[in-house]
Amino acid sequence: MSSASQVERAVLEEEFNWLLREEVHSVLKQLQDVLKEASRRFAMPSPGLESQLKQENFILGSEGVLTLQGEALTQADINLKMAKSSQVLHFQFRDDKHWKLQQIQDARNHVNQALHLLNCRDDSYHFKTGAEVNKLMDAVMLQLTRARNRLTTPASLTLPSSPPSADAGDVMVNFYINLSKLCLTVYQLHVLPPNTTKNFKPAGSSVLHNPGAMFELNNNRFEVSHVHKVECVLPWLSDTLVFFTISLQPASSSKTR
Amino acid sequence: MSGNNLVLPIVLWGRTAPTHCISSLLVLDDCSAVITGCHDGQICLWDMTPELQVPPRAMLFGHTSSITCLAKANACTDKQYIVSASENGEMCLWDVNDGRCIEFSKLACAHTDIQFYQFTIGTQREGRLLCNGHYPEVLVLDASSLEVLYSLVSKISPDWISAMSIIRSHRTQEDTVVAVSVTGILKVWIITAEVSRMQDLDPVFEEESKPIQCQNCQSISFCHFTQNSLLVVCSKYWRVFDAGDYSLLCSVPSEADQGWTGGDFISADKVIVWTEDGCSYIYKLPPSCLSASEHFRSDVGKTREGAVPPLIYKIADQPDKKLLICPPVTRFFFSRREPFHKLLIQGDSEGRLSMWNVPDKLSFCLSTELPVSCTLSLQESFDGLMPVSSGIIDQLSAQPGKEQPIKVTASVYIPAQGRLVCGREDGSIILVPATQTAIVQLLQGEHMLRRGWPPHRTLRGHRNKVTCVLYPYQVSPRYDQRALVSGGVDFSVIVWDIFTGEMKHIFCVHGGEITQLLVPPENCSTRVQHCVCSVASDHSVGLLSLKERKCIMLASRHLFPIQVIKWRPADDYLVVGCSDGSVYVWQMDTGALDRCVMGLTAVEILNACDELAPATVDALSHPAVNLKQAMTRRSLAALKNMAQHKLQTLATNLLAADNADKGNLPKYSHNALVVQAMKTNVSDPDMHVLFFDVEAVIIQLLTEEAQRPNPTLVSPRLFCMDKLNPSLIPMFAQVKETMKETIKEHLLDDDEEEEEEQRRREEKSKSLSLLEYNLTMDTAKLFMSCLHAWGLNQQLDLICLERLGMLRPHCPISFGLISRGGHMSLMLPTFKVDQNWELKLTLSDIVGKGTYGLSRAVTTQHLLSVISLANTLMGMTNATFVGEHMKKAPTR
Repeated sequence: MSSASQVERAVLEEEFNWLLREEVHSVLKQLQDVLKEASRRFAMPSPGLESQLKQENFILGSEGVLTLQGEALTQADINLKMAKSSQVLHFQFRDDKHWKLQQIQDARNHVNQALHLLNCRDDSYHFKTGAEVNKLMDAVMLQLTRARNRLTTPASLTLPSSPPSADAGDVMVNFYINLSKLCLTVYQLHVLPPNTTKNFKPAGSSVLHNPGAMFELNNNRFEVSHVHKVECVLPWLSDTLVFFTISLQPASSSKTR
Repeated sequence: MSGNNLVLPIVLWGRTAPTHCISSLLVLDDCSAVITGCHDGQICLWDMTPELQVPPRAMLFGHTSSITCLAKANACTDKQYIVSASENGEMCLWDVNDGRCIEFSKLACAHTDIQFYQFTIGTQREGRLLCNGHYPEVLVLDASSLEVLYSLVSKISPDWISAMSIIRSHRTQEDTVVAVSVTGILKVWIITAEVSRMQDLDPVFEEESKPIQCQNCQSISFCHFTQNSLLVVCSKYWRVFDAGDYSLLCSVPSEADQGWTGGDFISADKVIVWTEDGCSYIYKLPPSCLSASEHFRSDVGKTREGAVPPLIYKIADQPDKKLLICPPVTRFFFSRREPFHKLLIQGDSEGRLSMWNVPDKLSFCLSTELPVSCTLSLQESFDGLMPVSSGIIDQLSAQPGKEQPIKVTASVYIPAQGRLVCGREDGSIILVPATQTAIVQLLQGEHMLRRGWPPHRTLRGHRNKVTCVLYPYQVSPRYDQRALVSGGVDFSVIVWDIFTGEMKHIFCVHGGEITQLLVPPENCSTRVQHCVCSVASDHSVGLLSLKERKCIMLASRHLFPIQVIKWRPADDYLVVGCSDGSVYVWQMDTGALDRCVMGLTAVEILNACDELAPATVDALSHPAVNLKQAMTRRSLAALKNMAQHKLQTLATNLLAADNADKGNLPKYSHNALVVQAMKTNVSDPDMHVLFFDVEAVIIQLLTEEAQRPNPTLVSPRLFCMDKLNPSLIPMFAQVKETMKETIKEHLLDDDEEEEEEQRRREEKSKSLSLLEYNLTMDTAKLFMSCLHAWGLNQQLDLICLERLGMLRPHCPISFGLISRGGHMSLMLPTFKVDQNWELKLTLSDIVGKGTYGLSRAVTTQHLLSVISLANTLMGMTNATFVGEHMKKAPTR
């Protein structure tokens, strides 16, 4: 009885050692490859060569064109039909002003940190305990989950903290990423008379505010009268999201072992 | 809870030190303490003696995720504040002296580094915290309120800041912030007086932005000796830059497969750099890096890669060290005051601190290694204790032939019965009266001679470790009062009869270890209401009906570990949140998966559950989360009970005067004492914290006193009144009458039936309880004995022992301090009171004196409690803890 269990124990120990020696590394290698692929999608600006970064144009619904360079929107050419008046609102970025999509940068940095963690433990490294592998996997998965969450959950904003409008005083603009979609919301504003006490309720923070949301900015009170929302798909982002999901799975399954 | 109630925690740590996998480290300026933060969110304070010993003093609880950085938070010497930040954006400001939490806040972003700096604004000096982390700015926070004042922003290629350093230039009298971004761009911000004064205005843009090709920058430090150079450490190389124009002076690559993780200057011409596996190297800088040398800057522009400067010392870690599960944290500390230590400090995953005293005069001797000055892990310091630190039921868990007692792995306290249920690693469950067992652990007395004391009951059924126990009746009275539920690593959930000790049913529905047992909220369907919810490590959730004795729903196939369970009772939904951010919505009655969502919708669904019923949230991911929730929940319950109690005491005191049958008075739940099990890490055994609610103890004492059939001494307060001022009696009587009316109405209106039932239940439970004892008096006895300052006055001690029946503690008692928002500091058993305590005082003396002079806040709380409790006891008829059996004993 006891000898049998001893043999069993020895076999299990052997298997565990094999797991640490071979299997863990193959999983790590696999992970590393997937992440490298994912990180390649985020066009990394090498210092001094920003201008050589690939420019990508995206057609935003039927309303216009956006140019994305790395993590920044560099050019826009958008026409929006205003409600009520048949006036068409035309947007463009100033040449010196870019719209940085912080979500993309954050996601990229998280992926790179995960890659860095994996690079530190390449084939030559010998794992001694399972706890060590668990700890490493925890750290890698934390970075990956963060990266994905940055893309899947755009930050909600209170209206006054929304990035300021391009030029016109009664329009506010926000660009953000939701999953693999690049979204643009345009709020048409309506200035409330300063003394109205008429149920002024400042809106909380939300990704998308509805018409009727009110807020105060520089002692002026505004009400959102119309909201336009247009979006387009960034194909490389959907690729990356797939990669994240792919890479999280072996990571978690190797952890459970 | 801290604000309104006087609640004193006493900790029973047990023999196993809490897991403390160090993630960050800080040495106080005056070398009086080392502070470490760990991956599980606790902070440990280690006192540092002039001989460089580091006895651990206290552990601070409050963060719910890994500590990412620690920094000092004030400049003056009389008060020592530190700030801590965790991975999920929480920040806390702590007082190092007593472990009080002074301020806390939560931001959406996580900081990876915080630096304290005093900016001079005119004549005033303002403390500021500069934070960098997973965001592209440097945030400047007020060091006392933790509010964001303004931010330092990059105009050119903004990106996360990986490291930062603050320089005070003597030439220009300006404060300069130098930082390196993730992409390797050096950023310089100048903070002038105007900048510091403005608040929430335009962001401050950088003065200079220079690519220096430093990828994966780990640390940046300024040479305080020459004020001329900067050391930038990246994982693959370290570089020295001129602090004036940031030109590269020298660059040294790391060896093959190890990465640098940090470095600092130890003198004008030497640097110390450390690797992720815990080795440190001291290098002498080449003359081109030394401003005093004639060759200074001679190499600018032609620096060769790979020219390694002479290595002076190598400080490797000890060979006998245990295996580490993650890279250790190393810091170099140079004290600018007496005794001018230059210390290299390392904290590792074993909870070990190692210190090297780096000598000023270093000679070239490659062969010798610098000897370690001090090394101590939490476990070692626990092991060195004499007598050992006790756990709550150690006397019942002793294993023959083994030194360590059987570990308690899960526990629940049932205040209504004063009993503690402990599940252990061998699969057995012990039921034991909590005060009795605590008295055994903490105090000396007759009970030490009895074997198997206190009387207890053992439930055997689990094959292996018990992971969770739940007493559903405590959460909701809809459950059977007898049912106790336990889950184990043997995949089973067992239902017990708590009174007979009988095993009622075994559920074997999960394919993994049971990790959590929960109670569904009140407004679920009737079928679900009689269920408990079990969560297992195979990512499945089950609803186990205690009434039908079957599993009515099993939600499995979640791809990732379950992090949170929420409820939408109105829609009959069970909402499962997984660690990858996905959310599964299950229909409880049919067991059908309604939907599975991710991203924004998932967050919204979880939030919507919170809005509906804030009490139904149960986070599972982290023991600290559970603890904090328990704390906040407890406080709510305590507040509610408090309000009830006050009314009822009045009622008792008033009604008792002319109420003949006092047996009809409602009895109150014994929540003067709450025992909370805590773990710092899931793999740790439970440690137990006894929370004494002083007010509740007093109220219970008074209540019981009032119920005693003694007409002359009904209520001490009334009695005093009568004696003091006879003229007041008529008025008082009138007040009494009116109040009596209202209270009667209140109490009787409530639910007479329910009260009746309650009483019946209590009677039943009492008859079935393990032994007859006076719970309140025992609690008071335990409490007073722990708090009394033993050893200060010999005669008083004697009176306390012989006449009052108090007991002397075995060993110094670990007290705690609860501060704002459920933050808590708990003294470790290894704390040292005084530098000279070993010389003069005997063990029994320290026992008492230990509690005083620790910190002002703790002393105040203790004195208040002792005085108020003693006053109450003096007004009682039998103002002694001497039991009947004790009285008979011959007096010596």
